[in-house]
Amino acid sequence: MVPFGTDETICRIVAEYSPMLLRLACTRLSSAADAEDAVQEAFLRLLTARPAFRDGEHEKAWLIRTTLQRASDIRRKAEQRNIPLEDVTEPAAPESAGEELRSAVRTLPEKYGAVIHLHYYEGYSIREIAKLLGLPAATVGTRLARGRERLRQMLREDAV
Amino acid sequence: MNREDYRKAFDELSFSADFQERTADLLQKRARELEKECTDMTFNKTKKMAVLIAACIALLVVSVSAAFAWLTPAQVAEEYDQPLLAEAFSGKDALLLNETVENGGYSITLLGLVSGRNLDVLNQDLEQDHTYSVLALRRLDGALLENWDFDFSSFTMTPLVEGYSPRAVNNWTLDAFAQGFAKDNVYYFLLDTASIEMFADRTVYMAFYEGFVPDNNTFTMAEDGTIAFCEDFTGVHALFTLPLDPAKADPAAADAFVESTGLNGWSNERTAAETEEFETERSVDADGNETVIIRPKEDAPALAVE
Repeated sequence: MVPFGTDETICRIVAEYSPMLLRLACTRLSSAADAEDAVQEAFLRLLTARPAFRDGEHEKAWLIRTTLQRASDIRRKAEQRNIPLEDVTEPAAPESAGEELRSAVRTLPEKYGAVIHLHYYEGYSIREIAKLLGLPAATVGTRLARGRERLRQMLREDAV
Repeated sequence: MNREDYRKAFDELSFSADFQERTADLLQKRARELEKECTDMTFNKTKKMAVLIAACIALLVVSVSAAFAWLTPAQVAEEYDQPLLAEAFSGKDALLLNETVENGGYSITLLGLVSGRNLDVLNQDLEQDHTYSVLALRRLDGALLENWDFDFSSFTMTPLVEGYSPRAVNNWTLDAFAQGFAKDNVYYFLLDTASIEMFADRTVYMAFYEGFVPDNNTFTMAEDGTIAFCEDFTGVHALFTLPLDPAKADPAAADAFVESTGLNGWSNERTAAETEEFETERSVDADGNETVIIRPKEDAPALAVE
């Protein structure tokens, strides 16, 4: 197995996974720059942790989980730095339907957002998502159904 | 909401045009720094070893195990930025074993294990208990084990359970996640599997060996279910018995798990294909790509794996 530290593997992994991981990070982060930070941190962790992967799917699953965790960390830190709630002004209205949908996904509990994204954007089946996230398939199915329902409600409310 | 709308919304996102280039550069730079740190550590370690050897000669009586101070399982977890796991390894539920087997020129020490839920800060969404095990590997001839040279992937560390086929209960079926790193000439393995406590009313083993998926070229099972390495297994190997608490066993869950794998069949007798001896030829090209050619010892067509 070629170690991750070689130039060739670094280029392969960055090219192969960056687009997917950046979009995935945006299910938890509203800023593209923050998403880029989360993905970079996940790649750096791969370099230092040097996990051994059984196959490409194992490698992908590790990167997905690590990116989601890093995105959550960045979001939590940002929330801790936030100004008191009473000083928060009303957020600007979404500029597009796309932004409205992305904002709704970010509002979902994290456990629903990842499942929704992997299903709707990446096209993974419930069984595949279960494998990627290390969850029972039944749990993924439940989260997908509940997440979808919540999204519908939020988007409907926004439309009113 | 349909899939098309969803994809469109996320396709609208734009990221820095140079993100991939910038990230690859950053990682390559960091990789070189890590490599340099390893080299520096080796150099310093060589000097330290000379002092240590002199001290050992002066004392004359120094036990092999005492000459090496392993990291504790908690320290191994800390190396991976896993504070919850480190805390669990320091808690009352952790099993700290420090059992060593010397085999094939290696000293193999099972340091300990702990089971629990949501101990991994990188994966806090689990709805089942996991078992985390730490093992240390050291060359008996004092040869260096380095991150950049050591072929981590040629070894397997896996739980096995008395009476259940090694094909059914192992790393692969328990959805294991293995990590490893070298520090001070010791290579540490941190293995994360689904919890093995459900099997605790049986003898549960931790096997470490040079090889891949467990099969009957590696293991043999006696009529009473006892598992052992095959007598003709020549790779580096060690088999530890885990002192799990039988009160934590869940035989029904264990049976259901094994049933779900569909792999509980086992025979010590090898088929013609299983006994066929293969030879391997490894080569590494200028870009670092390793090619392994596996071929039967007779003149059969070769299978190349890259």
